[in-house]
Amino acid sequence: MNVFHFFLQHHKEILELALEHLWLVGISTLLAVLIGIPLGIISAHWPVWNKPVLGTANVIQTVPSLALFGFLLPVPWIGARADRLAILALTLYALLPVIRNTYTGIRGVDPSVVEAGRGMGLTDRQLLLHVELPLAVSVILSGVRVAVVVSVGLATIAAAIGAGGLGEFIFRGLAMVNNELILAGAIPAAILALSADFGLGWLERRLQPR
Amino acid sequence: MEPTPTNAPVIEFRAVVYTLPNGQQLLHNMNLQVQRGETLVLLGRSGSGKTTTLKLINRLLTPSGGEVRVNGAITAKSDVIRLRRSIGYVIQDVGLFPHFSVERNIGLVPRIEGWPADRIHARVEELLQLVELDSKIASRYPHQLSGGQRQRVGVARALAADPAILLMDEPFGAVDAITRDQLQREFLALQRRLNKTVVFVTHDLREALRLGSRIALMEAGQLVTVLPPQDFLRSTDSLAAAYVQAFREGWDSPAKGGT
Amino acid sequence: MKQDRHAQVRGLKYEVAVSIILLSLLLLSCAPSHSNRIVIGSKNFTESLMLGELLAQLIEARTHLKVERRFYLAGSYICQQAILAGRIDIYPEYTGTALTAILKQKVGGDRAGVYRRVKSEYETRFGLTLGPPFGFNNTFAMEIRGDDARRLKLKTLSQAAAFTPQWHAGFGYEFMERPDGYAGLAAAYGLHFAAPPRIMDLGLLAPALKNHQIDTAAGNATDGLIPTLDLFVLEDDRHYFPPYEAVSVVRQQALQQHPELAQILSDLGGKISDQEMQKLNYALDGQHRDAQDVAHEFLRSKGLVP
Repeated sequence: MNVFHFFLQHHKEILELALEHLWLVGISTLLAVLIGIPLGIISAHWPVWNKPVLGTANVIQTVPSLALFGFLLPVPWIGARADRLAILALTLYALLPVIRNTYTGIRGVDPSVVEAGRGMGLTDRQLLLHVELPLAVSVILSGVRVAVVVSVGLATIAAAIGAGGLGEFIFRGLAMVNNELILAGAIPAAILALSADFGLGWLERRLQPR
Repeated sequence: MEPTPTNAPVIEFRAVVYTLPNGQQLLHNMNLQVQRGETLVLLGRSGSGKTTTLKLINRLLTPSGGEVRVNGAITAKSDVIRLRRSIGYVIQDVGLFPHFSVERNIGLVPRIEGWPADRIHARVEELLQLVELDSKIASRYPHQLSGGQRQRVGVARALAADPAILLMDEPFGAVDAITRDQLQREFLALQRRLNKTVVFVTHDLREALRLGSRIALMEAGQLVTVLPPQDFLRSTDSLAAAYVQAFREGWDSPAKGGT
Repeated sequence: MKQDRHAQVRGLKYEVAVSIILLSLLLLSCAPSHSNRIVIGSKNFTESLMLGELLAQLIEARTHLKVERRFYLAGSYICQQAILAGRIDIYPEYTGTALTAILKQKVGGDRAGVYRRVKSEYETRFGLTLGPPFGFNNTFAMEIRGDDARRLKLKTLSQAAAFTPQWHAGFGYEFMERPDGYAGLAAAYGLHFAAPPRIMDLGLLAPALKNHQIDTAAGNATDGLIPTLDLFVLEDDRHYFPPYEAVSVVRQQALQQHPELAQILSDLGGKISDQEMQKLNYALDGQHRDAQDVAHEFLRSKGLVP
C-alpha cells in the first residue's frame, strides 16, 4: 500500500510532528487543568460564581476556533509566537469541559457524605482534599478526557497559523494535492485522539468510587 | 472544651431563634438544657424543628437569635472545628466515605488530629468490638456492608476521638425493624458503658420511650414539653397525649387532625 | 486480606503517580529541538519551492548534514513562526515582504538599503540573519510585447510613458487596489492610458497581451512565461516598485552550530538572475518537470555541485 510505505519512509518526520502536536496538547491541557479545576471548585462551593464562570467558558467555546486564532493574532506577546497563541487558544477551549465536570463532580458527591464530614469537624480544605476531590476525580477526569480529545483535533487547525504539529502535514498535503501527506497528518492525529480517549477512559473507570 | 462543674448543663439553648434567609422561622424562642450523661430525645413530626435544633449544637447551623452553649461556651464564639471534633455526629444516611475502607472511615478524625498510626489502629479495633462488628470488616468498603453494619460503623466513627457528646439524627430510621431493634439494644448497652451525653432525634415514640432519659416534644419550631418517659406517657399535654394515643393504637405519629 | 486491600489502594495510587511522571517527562522532551539536521522550509508556490530545493541539495552535497524539507508552508507568517520556534532553520524570503509583512514597516529606498535594514532588524529582534541575495528581484514587472520593445526601442518605463496614450493596460485586481500599485505608478511616471485599465484575472494577462487585447500588463519579474511568450520587462528606472530581493533567512543559532552553512549561502549568492529564475519557474510550471531534477541540473550548470 502506498500510504504504508509513505509512513515507513517518513516515519522520522511524522514522529517529530507528532511530538510537536503532543507538546501543544499537553501544555494546554495542563494549564486548563490548573486553572479550570480551581474555577470549578469555586463555582461548586459559591453558587454566585456559577453563572459567570460557566457562562464565560461557554461563550469562549462558541467562538469558532479559527476565528479565535485570528482574534489573538494582534495581541502583543501572545500573537508574536504561534505556539504561544495556539497554547492559549487550546487552553481556553479546554476550560469548559474541565470547569463543568469539576463543578458536576463536586456537586455530585453524596450530600450526606459532605454533611457527615463537616459534622465530624473537617475543615473546608480537608473536606475538599480528602472527600470531595477524591470522590469527584472520576468525573473530573472525564472532563479532562474530553478536553484532550478536543485539543488534539484543534491543534491540527493550529498549524494554519504556524504552530506546527500534525496539522502541518494536512495543510501542506492540501497545497500540494498530496493525499499521502494529508493522511500522514490525519491518521496519527486520529490515533493520538483515540489513545488519549481510551487511556484516560480506562483511568476514569479505575478511579470511580465504589 | 474545658470540663464544666458536674451539675451545669452540658448543652444549653437560651431563647434560640432560627430563621431561614427567606424569612421562614424554623425555631421560636427555644429554651432547653441537656444534662451530663443523659439521653435527651427530640421527638416530633417532620418540620417540627428537631433536626434544626440538633444542627445548632454542632453549629452546622448558627442561631439567628439567642445563644447555644456547649460546656458553657457560646458556640457562635467558639472555634467551630474544635467544637465539632469534640462532638460525635451520626446521621440517618450515615454518610460513610465510599472511597475509604471501614478502618480509614473510623480513623479519619484521629488521623487528622495527628494520632500515631498504631494508636489509630488499636482504637479502630477497640471501636469495632464496641459496636459488635468483626474486626475483619476493617478492610472492607462501605458498599460491601449491609445497612445495619454501615450504621454501626457510623457510630464507631462518631466515637473515634472519644467525644463526650453524641448527636444522632434518626440514625436507625433507614434499616428494617429487626435490625433497628438490635441497634437500639446495642445503643443502650453502649450508653451504659460509656455514659455519653446524647441528643437523639426521632419521630418514633416507641424509640423515644425506649432510649431516652428525657423526651423533648417539639412541634412547629417550638418546644412543647420535656418529660421523662414515664411522665410522658401520663402527660396531659394535648399533643403529647395524642402521640401516646397513636402509640397505643399502633401508629407512630398523631393522627391527622390532631393538634 | 486487610493487607491486600491496602495494597490495592496503594497500588492504584502508584499507577496514577507513575503515569503522571511519565507524562510530564514526555511533555518536557516534546519541546521542539533538533541538533544534527538542518530543516529547510519554503512557502507554497513554485519559486519558493525551487529556492528551497536548491538550498537543500547544495547543503546535502557539500556538507555532512542531514537535510529535512518542510516545504509548502502557507506564507510568510507561518514560515516566520516556524523559524522563530526553531522548527525550521532556513527558508527563502523576499526583502520587501520581510520589511512590510514581518517588520510591519513602510517600504522605500533602494535594494541595498532595504536589504541592510531587514538584516539588521532580524539580527537584533529575532536572532535571525539573512544570507546574501540570490541575485534576482521578484518585484512587479511592467510587461510589453517583445515586438513593441524592439520596434520602438523601449527599455525603460520613462521611455514607454510617452506611448501610453496609444495603449491599453491590463492589471490584476490587487495591483489596482494597492496604494503602491497602479495609482502610485501612474503618478510616478506620468502614465495616461487611452482608456481606464482593464481588470483581469492574473492568469489571463499574458495571453491577452500576446493577442493584442492589451498592450501592457503588470506581472511578476520572474514569471516563467516571460521568455516563452517573448515578453519584455520595462526597467523601473525611477525605482518606483519596492525591492523584493530573494534572500535566505537563517537562524543565527543554526549558523553557530554549523558554520559550514555560511559558505554554502555565500556560494549561492548572486547566482540566479531574473532571467534564470524565469527559466526555472517555467521548467516547473510550464514543462511540469520534477523540482529535484531541475534543481540538480541548475546547480551542476553553475559548478556548485559535481
